[in-house]
Amino acid sequence: MTVPALQITGLAKRFGGLAATRDVSISVMPGERRLLIGPNGAGKTTLFNQIAGDFFPDAGSVKLFGEDMTRLPTRTRVKMGLGRTYQVLTLFPRDTLRHNVVLALLGTLGGGWSALGALTRRRDLAERADAALAQVGLADAAGRRVSDTSYGERRRLELAMALAQNPRVLLLDEPLAGLSAAERETVRVLLEEIPRDVTIILIEHDMDVALAFADRITLLNFGQVVLEGTRAEVIADPRTREVYLGG
Amino acid sequence: MNMRVIGGWLLVVLALAAVPVALPSAFYLGIATHALIFAIFALSLNILIGHAGMSSLGHAVYLGVPAYAVAWLTVQAGWQPVPTVIVALLMGTALSALFGILALRASGLGFLMITLALGQVMWGAAYRWVGLTGGDNGIRLPARPALLGFDLSSALSFYVLVSIVLLIALCSLWQFDRSAFGACLRGTRDQPRRMSMLGHNVWLIRWAAFITAGFWGSVAGVLYCFDYQFVSPQALSLPQSAEALLMVVLGGAGTLAGPVVGAIIITVIKTVVSSYVDRWYSLLGLTFIVVVSVMPRGLVPGIASWLRGKRA
Repeated sequence: MTVPALQITGLAKRFGGLAATRDVSISVMPGERRLLIGPNGAGKTTLFNQIAGDFFPDAGSVKLFGEDMTRLPTRTRVKMGLGRTYQVLTLFPRDTLRHNVVLALLGTLGGGWSALGALTRRRDLAERADAALAQVGLADAAGRRVSDTSYGERRRLELAMALAQNPRVLLLDEPLAGLSAAERETVRVLLEEIPRDVTIILIEHDMDVALAFADRITLLNFGQVVLEGTRAEVIADPRTREVYLGG
Repeated sequence: MNMRVIGGWLLVVLALAAVPVALPSAFYLGIATHALIFAIFALSLNILIGHAGMSSLGHAVYLGVPAYAVAWLTVQAGWQPVPTVIVALLMGTALSALFGILALRASGLGFLMITLALGQVMWGAAYRWVGLTGGDNGIRLPARPALLGFDLSSALSFYVLVSIVLLIALCSLWQFDRSAFGACLRGTRDQPRRMSMLGHNVWLIRWAAFITAGFWGSVAGVLYCFDYQFVSPQALSLPQSAEALLMVVLGGAGTLAGPVVGAIIITVIKTVVSSYVDRWYSLLGLTFIVVVSVMPRGLVPGIASWLRGKRA
């Protein structure tokens, strides 16, 4: 039997009187493209935060390829193969794009503790960073500061940083948010090109792109899984219209 | 290393070498020595403020405790200078490791308040534990000891030692800034959550920075004790911590030259200008307000930015 890439069982988290997630159980198979949808405040990003280890759940478990990581710190989850991009860009704006990716590489490859030798002399890291940037079409911008790049380029940089770490499971939180139509198309193609050995869980409100991309869809509302199924099943279900699409 | 960098370092060495020639007396050379010791102290605090983004109001602990250790081990225990210096540095660094564990339970204002509280605890202990510290009277060194055969009794010889230590500190911190660890530390300053999601141990990186700052603060503390040949609770006090903070912010946090420039300006105002101006504290405050208003990032980044603007 194939072990799920990500298995969430009975996940619950309360913030005071507010139940952010309630008994959430999701199983994502290796290579799958899973779309999480739901109205604002449904608990999608909170669920991502719990998967990433930003905070621990009150109940339930999270497993990555069968390994329980419910109580593990974020950095350990990353080393186990979890990657993530953020809805709100979290980059290092004063540094170059290459430096941003190098920081990502230092996180997984190690070497971040070296206080000897200039980081800029680490050719191996620079080459790997440039390769990751080339993968998202930013090879020419490697030496530019993040603050001198466009919003679309920054979105692609987020993706390059995540991909540089060779994740096995990648959480993408609204990777198309705020992009123009042309930029959305560029990122859509990039997402399509990510090899199937990377399992992707996506939160996205651009339904045209997201529905075409996803193998299976999970609909969340008030922190609970309302329904889960294939594209056709979820679209056909009246609860999707009621909860998410409106009317 | 490119020519510009080599030229910069040569300029620093020449400037340090020119000071004894340019200054008219041993008195002024002594003031220059004070300034350089406080430059090392400010550089150590800059690791926390400039590189790690953590403002501390208790950094005087790492100046005062090693200074007390040197004075006590020399006067009360009768130890030789070399083991005394080693133990003093170890004590200061170990204390920073311990206090780092406590202070890093919080960040931002919480961190500031914990460092302030720890500093006040140590100041209170120095003030009240008369049997160990001499209380308000402090501990006086009979003379500046010879170190590894070098006589440090003259103002010039001690200035040379302090200059060499400052150069080592500058080189080490320059290297630190360029290294992978320096980059990771700045990453934790700018985007701690992201750094964690990139696989970095943010807490451990900050703790290592805290200990490094404690070590260089201890180096300054040892020199401080040799310089003044006296240590009292004032070395551990809140004004001492605040003054170091002022040096860093005035010169420019996160830069190598900034804390040195800040330390020189404040030492000159404290020791030279205060001889001519009664209200020198007001002058110090006014200087700070003017600099921070005109150059919010501090003198060194402000002047560098102004020069770049002129060239463009």
